Order: sequence, then structure tokens, then C-alpha cells
Amino acid sequence: MFFPKQGKPSGAVELFYVAGTIGLQLVSATFIGLAMGYFLDKWLGTSPWLLMLFLLLGIVAGFRDVYREVKRIQRRTGDAPGADGSDQGN
Amino acid sequence: MSAGLPHPLTYSVIIDEKLGLGLPPHVYYMWLAMIILFTCAMMLRGRLQLVPGGMQNVFETVIGGLEDFTVANIGEDGRKVFPFLCSIFIFILVMNYIGLIPGCDAATANVNTNAAMALCVFLYYNYIGIKRWGFGYIKHFMGPMAALAPLMLVLETVSHLARPVSLTLRLFGNIRGEEIVLVLLFVLAPVLGTLPMYFLFILGKTIQAFIFFMLTMIYLKGSLEHAH
Repeated sequence: MFFPKQGKPSGAVELFYVAGTIGLQLVSATFIGLAMGYFLDKWLGTSPWLLMLFLLLGIVAGFRDVYREVKRIQRRTGDAPGADGSDQGN
Repeated sequence: MSAGLPHPLTYSVIIDEKLGLGLPPHVYYMWLAMIILFTCAMMLRGRLQLVPGGMQNVFETVIGGLEDFTVANIGEDGRKVFPFLCSIFIFILVMNYIGLIPGCDAATANVNTNAAMALCVFLYYNYIGIKRWGFGYIKHFMGPMAALAPLMLVLETVSHLARPVSLTLRLFGNIRGEEIVLVLLFVLAPVLGTLPMYFLFILGKTIQAFIFFMLTMIYLKGSLEHAH
């Protein structure tokens, strides 16, 4: 079934797993940035500025994660078929 | 499959009344998963054979497959961190499957269980990174260019802190959603509606456990390999 009996799942299934993880990382990075800015503002008393800055940084971090994940997928699937390590696993 | 309804009638409520501890259901079901796993481990440890049969065969297939997958992805270093990865996978899988038993609830359908596991993962991969690279682990947060290092430090901190949050919410949302769908379908069409969904949700719960395992593996890989 979907379980990796052969040491690694087939390419399409693994892509499915990875693609399902991208969206939430984007959202949670944004919210972590927002929370960091909010609490830093509360602590330092610089009311709206750090919130805005860290929200922006959170969004950038989220998009950077998505970009890196996409690069990883591309590196894995961009190779010639059969060269993605399927000859080492048994 | 009580899905956290206001007054769920699960076995844990009855057990809790007997014991008088006042603990929430997910704690009992996590204990149940632990009991199941410990019992399996004790039973198997007593009679390990060179030619596996029965349950030993099942476990060897699962754990051997996962180990091959880990080593193919991380490299030989993966064997050192594999016990942690594998325990996380099997633990989540058993907790997810317990949710399919009528009258039981998945421990992973509560956000606290998942947050605890995600925090463990977060601390563990940072510990592995620091143990491996010492103070040089900070290079993993700096990015390739020296000029952009302060910016990258903040960006990487945000994205590393977002990892446990997204791990927690993904597992929680999927499992809780499946439990709620099961209850709703049971209300609509008692047995006929629920039975087909069981097959889908067995698949879904396996996938969620595997995604948690795979992301943990990717994070460990990131902290083990050389900073770019």
C-alpha cells in the first residue's frame, strides 16, 4: 500500500507527502513572526514597529522555506529516472 | 472516536471515575498505546529468532523498511538517530489507530500530545546539531553570505520556531478532523456510513504518522549535514 515496504515510497507518493507539508509551514512561520513581534513590542515598548518588522520577516521566512522545499523536490525529481537513489535501496 | 464532544462516552471516562484521578481522556489513551507497545516489545524480546516468524516478521519488515528509508536519505549517520525516529513513528501510528476503536479516542486528536512530541523533536534535532558541530552549529543559521548573516539569523530562527508549530497543528488537525467526520457519519448512517470511511482513515492515519516521521527525518538531516 502506501507504506514504504521497499525502503522508500515511490516518487509520486513521496511528492504527495512533501507537497502536503509545505502550506502549513508558510502559515506557521507567518504566525511565529507575528507572535515574536508582538511580544518584543510588549517587552520593549516600541509599539507598532517591531510587530510590523517581524510580521514581514515571518512572511519572508515562510516563503523561503517553501522555496527551499521546492528546490529539494526539484533536485530529487529533476535527475534522470532511476538515478534518485532507487538503485541503492532494496 | 469521540472527537472531543462535550460529553464523550469513552472507556477513559469510566476508568477515570473508578480511579478518581480526574485526568483527561487523551492521557489514558496515550498510556494505552504505551502499554500495547511495551507488551509487544517484552513479548518479542523474550523469543527473538534468527528466522523470524509471526509478529517478529511484521516488526522486522516495518522497522527494516524505515531504517533503509532513513539511511537512504540521511546517510550512515542516520543509524544513530534512527531509534528516536522509529519510536516516534510507531508511537504515533498506534495512538492514531486507537482512535478507530469504537469507544476510544485518538490521543493525537488532542493538541497537547502533539505539542509535547513536536517539542521533543525540536529539542532533539537541535541537541544533535550542537553535539555534532559544537559552537559551529550557528553556521546553520547564518546562510551562505557573510553580509546577510544577521538577517538570515533572524529568518532562520523564525523558520526553526515555526517547525514545531506546524508539526503540532498538522497532526492535530488531520486526526481531529477524521475523528469528527467519523462521529458525524455515525450519526447520519450508523454502521453503513462509517465502515467505508474506516478504510480511508486507516490510510489517512498511516500517512499522518509517516509525515511526522519524515519531517523529523528531514530536520535531523538538516542539523547533521554540513552548513552550506
